[in-house]
Amino acid sequence: MLRAKAIKTIFLWDWELQYRRSSGWFVSLLFSAVVTFLTSLLIKNPTANTWLALMWMILIFSALQIASKAFSANDGQYYYINQLVNPLELLIGKSLSTSFSTLLISLLSFLLFYIWVGFPNISDHQTPLFPLLISISLGSVALSFTLSFTSAIASKVDGNTSLMSILSIPLLLPTLLVSLRASKLALLGQSIEQIYPIWIGELSLCGLSLALGAILFPYLWRS
Amino acid sequence: MKAWKITGIILVAYSMYAGLTFDVPRLVILNETIRNLYFHVPMWFTMIALLGNSLIQSIRFLRSGQEGRKVNLSLDLKAKNFAEVAMLFSLLGLFTGMIWAKATWGTYWTSDPKLNGTAVTLLIYLAYFVLRSSIEDLEKKARLSSVYNVFAFVLMIVFIGILPRMTASLHPGNGGNPAFSNYDLDDGMRMVFYPAVFGWILIGWWISLIRHRLDILKKEK
Repeated sequence: MLRAKAIKTIFLWDWELQYRRSSGWFVSLLFSAVVTFLTSLLIKNPTANTWLALMWMILIFSALQIASKAFSANDGQYYYINQLVNPLELLIGKSLSTSFSTLLISLLSFLLFYIWVGFPNISDHQTPLFPLLISISLGSVALSFTLSFTSAIASKVDGNTSLMSILSIPLLLPTLLVSLRASKLALLGQSIEQIYPIWIGELSLCGLSLALGAILFPYLWRS
Repeated sequence: MKAWKITGIILVAYSMYAGLTFDVPRLVILNETIRNLYFHVPMWFTMIALLGNSLIQSIRFLRSGQEGRKVNLSLDLKAKNFAEVAMLFSLLGLFTGMIWAKATWGTYWTSDPKLNGTAVTLLIYLAYFVLRSSIEDLEKKARLSSVYNVFAFVLMIVFIGILPRMTASLHPGNGGNPAFSNYDLDDGMRMVFYPAVFGWILIGWWISLIRHRLDILKKEK
């Protein structure tokens, strides 16, 4: 049984905590801003491929950084949460709040990247912004759904901080390749008719991660 | 010794002998390297079969703890052993493929969807072994790694099974390159290839079970 109210509670609870703590999403934003600025110092006038590679590297590590905190509460807090909601509602609520933060941070990083690095030089046409933004948004949401689940696994293992990246980076590759292709087509100014099948691919990867997570999470969360 | 083990030995021995001596189609570039079909491709079939069983054992483990029953830790151990032997076969497949690639493509490694798929599979399962080794509590270890095994297997299949079909590749069977069904119209190669696949799967299964029994003995000791 899924209760929308329980999911909403988890979502809002997470969100309020993120706001109140200075170690909340401001840290993630600062992290991606620092990395973006560093990148802008290191590269001038990148080609389209380099530009995309750099941008997705920034996005993937920001997403990793956000998701790694998704399940970091102490046992006492979880004792309380588990009284209120069932595991599935917890996973969905957490996935939604993580994907929402990731989406915000991705768009902000993209903005910073755009300001500091600019678009690559593709002389013959203008890049329309809208398809690129959709590709990036869908991609980062898909990334964060996979990451939320691996974060839940990693949170159950004490004292191994790098485990999260080892577990998740190989699993992110399908999503990353599909998103890379969508954003490449968008960057090269292809029409929406050509890009939207890949958007469907990104969406189905979101669905796949969430469905797999929903099946497996009750086993994971039982303690 | 059980009949299936003897069958495995006979089939692999036959495929090695037949694979090296029987007549094969003469094709430019490929030449005699076409014989690699009998040695390289069965490794991947075996890897997928063993990983498939590893997945099944993980699912069985997760289901074993339901309704107040005691969890069956040996199922998880079996999943680990099958995954380990599968990685051995993936390394063998990688090396036989690299030798073939040097002879035909002129390089040991190139950024090809199939090769990337192999690299990712290795990374995923190495992460699975790292996850296992970083948890002390046996039941927790079994539970978390089974969950990861199921999650990772599905995403790996998406990566190696679906995405390569969307991109160009140099590998036979992709991007307009002929695969083995196009070569042998006389079915001569099929008569060696299928026994090789079947034989190697049986041998891989056998190795995994021996490792599993060793592990069980060590645990009892």
